[in-house]
Amino acid sequence: MLEISHLYKKYMNSERFSVEDLNLSLRPGEIFGFLGQNGAGKSTTIKCLTGIYPFNSGKITICGYDIAKDPINAKLNMGYVPDNHSVYEKLTGREYVNYTADLYKVSKRDRDERFDRYVSQFKLTKAVDNQIKSYSHGMKQKICIIAALIHNPKLWVLDEPMMGLDHQSMVEILKRMDDHCAEGNTVFFSSHNLDLVAKICDRAAIIKDGKLQDVIDLHVKGNKETLEKTFCEITATEQDHINEMTLLRRN
Amino acid sequence: MNIKTLLKLEIKNKFSNYSLNSAKSYFKLFATLVLLAGVVYGVYWVAELFFEMFDKAGMIYEALVMLLSAVFLFMCITGISSNIKVLYYKGDNEILMRYPVSGEEVFISKTLFLFINQTLITAIIVAPFLVAYAQVSGLGTAFYVTIPVPIVFLVLIPFFLSNILAIPIMQLTNKIRNKFALIIIGLAVLVTVLFAVYMVLFNSMVTFMNDKEFSVFDDKIVESVTNVCKYLIPMKYFADIMVGEELYIAYPVLIMLTGLTLIGTILVIVKLYPKTLLNNVEVEGSAFRHVTRNRVRPIFFTLLHKEFLQVFRSVNYSFQYFVLACAMPVMVYFCNNITIQLGQNQIGEQIALGMSLLVMLIFATVITSFAATSTSREGDNFYHTKVAPVSVHTQLAAKFVMYVIVSALANGVCALVLYLTKQFDLTTSAWLFAVSESCSIALTLISMRMDINRPYFNLSGEGEVVNNNASTTLSVAAGFAVALTEGILCMLLSYLADIKLAFTVQEYIIEFTGELMFYVCSGIAAALLLLSIFGYLFRLKHAYNKIAK
Repeated sequence: MLEISHLYKKYMNSERFSVEDLNLSLRPGEIFGFLGQNGAGKSTTIKCLTGIYPFNSGKITICGYDIAKDPINAKLNMGYVPDNHSVYEKLTGREYVNYTADLYKVSKRDRDERFDRYVSQFKLTKAVDNQIKSYSHGMKQKICIIAALIHNPKLWVLDEPMMGLDHQSMVEILKRMDDHCAEGNTVFFSSHNLDLVAKICDRAAIIKDGKLQDVIDLHVKGNKETLEKTFCEITATEQDHINEMTLLRRN
Repeated sequence: MNIKTLLKLEIKNKFSNYSLNSAKSYFKLFATLVLLAGVVYGVYWVAELFFEMFDKAGMIYEALVMLLSAVFLFMCITGISSNIKVLYYKGDNEILMRYPVSGEEVFISKTLFLFINQTLITAIIVAPFLVAYAQVSGLGTAFYVTIPVPIVFLVLIPFFLSNILAIPIMQLTNKIRNKFALIIIGLAVLVTVLFAVYMVLFNSMVTFMNDKEFSVFDDKIVESVTNVCKYLIPMKYFADIMVGEELYIAYPVLIMLTGLTLIGTILVIVKLYPKTLLNNVEVEGSAFRHVTRNRVRPIFFTLLHKEFLQVFRSVNYSFQYFVLACAMPVMVYFCNNITIQLGQNQIGEQIALGMSLLVMLIFATVITSFAATSTSREGDNFYHTKVAPVSVHTQLAAKFVMYVIVSALANGVCALVLYLTKQFDLTTSAWLFAVSESCSIALTLISMRMDINRPYFNLSGEGEVVNNNASTTLSVAAGFAVALTEGILCMLLSYLADIKLAFTVQEYIIEFTGELMFYVCSGIAAALLLLSIFGYLFRLKHAYNKIAK
């Protein structure tokens, strides 16, 4: 579904690689969590695979289409929800979703059916004809999700989707993720919430300083329970070790 | 104490661009002051000419009344606008409401700031006019001593009045803020009328400059102006104070008016301000409801539709773009009429076409410069353009087509107006359209590419471009250069053709003809168009993909 091999990305005016030799392979029907501290390279990786950022070397394929060589077909198979919930706020919710559906060439029948289903699932029926600028943070996130799902993408990419959402909205999004995977599609999302990743993901990858550290199968017995410990061990800095040793010594 | 802190905060916000911590900042301040002095002197020069023109017709007092009336109205309008912006709509209201400061303290600090602002603006605008008046009318020191008195009234009365009117006008604008077509039409009419008045006055002043021996006004106009000025109350009383006429009425009326408007302002503060402020924090984000059905559009049209809505549903963008495009034909007609008349008197009839081309291209430049923010305007939504399964070329083509539709309509209507008003025949009007539109397309492509090479994603809370970027300035400069080149060449070659200039190069005789002018100007437009297409397409995808927002 998603293959990333030997991905290197360095920003202009930067001396170090933000993503270095990253390799990932996602299977159909799985929810894949992408973990890392702030600045570890999660968002950069996601922006490379969605076509937002160019990258220095490596290969990214989505459903067999190379994002660099055949971006149109690669993007047609992907839905993306950004971390900042940016949407065209002068449009109404319906206009925005229709705009996206047009770009992804969704037929009228599919569009009507999915639109009604998602709008009702995310409880946006009353607000869908209002201008987006009147929406709350959570409502903007939901309309982004509906727009990302309107073409029923094989790969659904979400960048920190739960940030700032209330419990009810989170439950709705998690339910949608689960349903989406049950239909044979793949969900790839970045998060800081280890409990959430442990709870819903099939696998999770941990990235540190742009390098992939580990890919953990959460169906293996004990991995779910030790995810937080593993994450802390992997992402701990030298200073964290010094602090830990000091604490032990003093105790 | 809170009031002082809040006032300091307002002033710091306003002058955040001017810090005195480096040689560069001193230079910036110095340059601003020099520019301001230049503007004040320019106003003085124009004002002197204005009063001389009316003095010749024996209407210098009426000129002062009209001028002070215009200043009074201007101060009321800008006062209301500043009041609404600073007191009710400014983003910091929401922040200030969280702090332990009362609504009254916020109001007083902001009002003091507005008052200082209004005093400075009034003094800068009015002082050069009044000095010019004293110069022309030959009034002595006594007049200069009285100058501060009307300025004080001109500051206080509009200021208090704008405080009272701000809330009802704001309620009205809140009601029509989503009636975009109505706003565009209203603003287009207003801009056109103001421009027409300005051009008529400008024409009279230039005519007067050419021959200062004669008055530009006939007896009928003099009579009408004198009659109208009698009824311009309270504005005529400002003039009366200056010239020492009917002081026994002028002073009491103005003092009474100041008192009444002050009482009105206090009532507004006590009764309405905190309530309106709280209400407005909510209203500011108000949006409309537009019930539609799901509709399938071809990709290109959906991109075009989105681009149109993004501009149409923004008062700022609509004004910068659609309103100016709508007003352009009228502006070109007036400008053309006057400049041709002036040019013909000075040089000869043959420069008329060049003048028209120059005027059309200058206005086209103003419109096409909007394309210099085509990418920047995407702001935080820029990622959409990268994620969408549509090629960059198609996405940019949709933006380009919208700009071409608007410029073609504006240039087309301009050419049609010039033809229908018999300024030019059909063929010449069509040629004017072709050259002007070719240059407009070229300038649009140049502007778009400049923005792609260096976008500025600096948007306000409403998601709109806050300041024009460097690309806009460059785009306007490029447009003016093209307008001057085409216009001056057209005038020069027409003039040379008229005097039938010819010379020989080896055995060839080169003769200046009307056709040569058409070929040269058309050739330049065509070459510019081709170059701009090439420049736009050159590594376009690479430049676009490089943008990392």
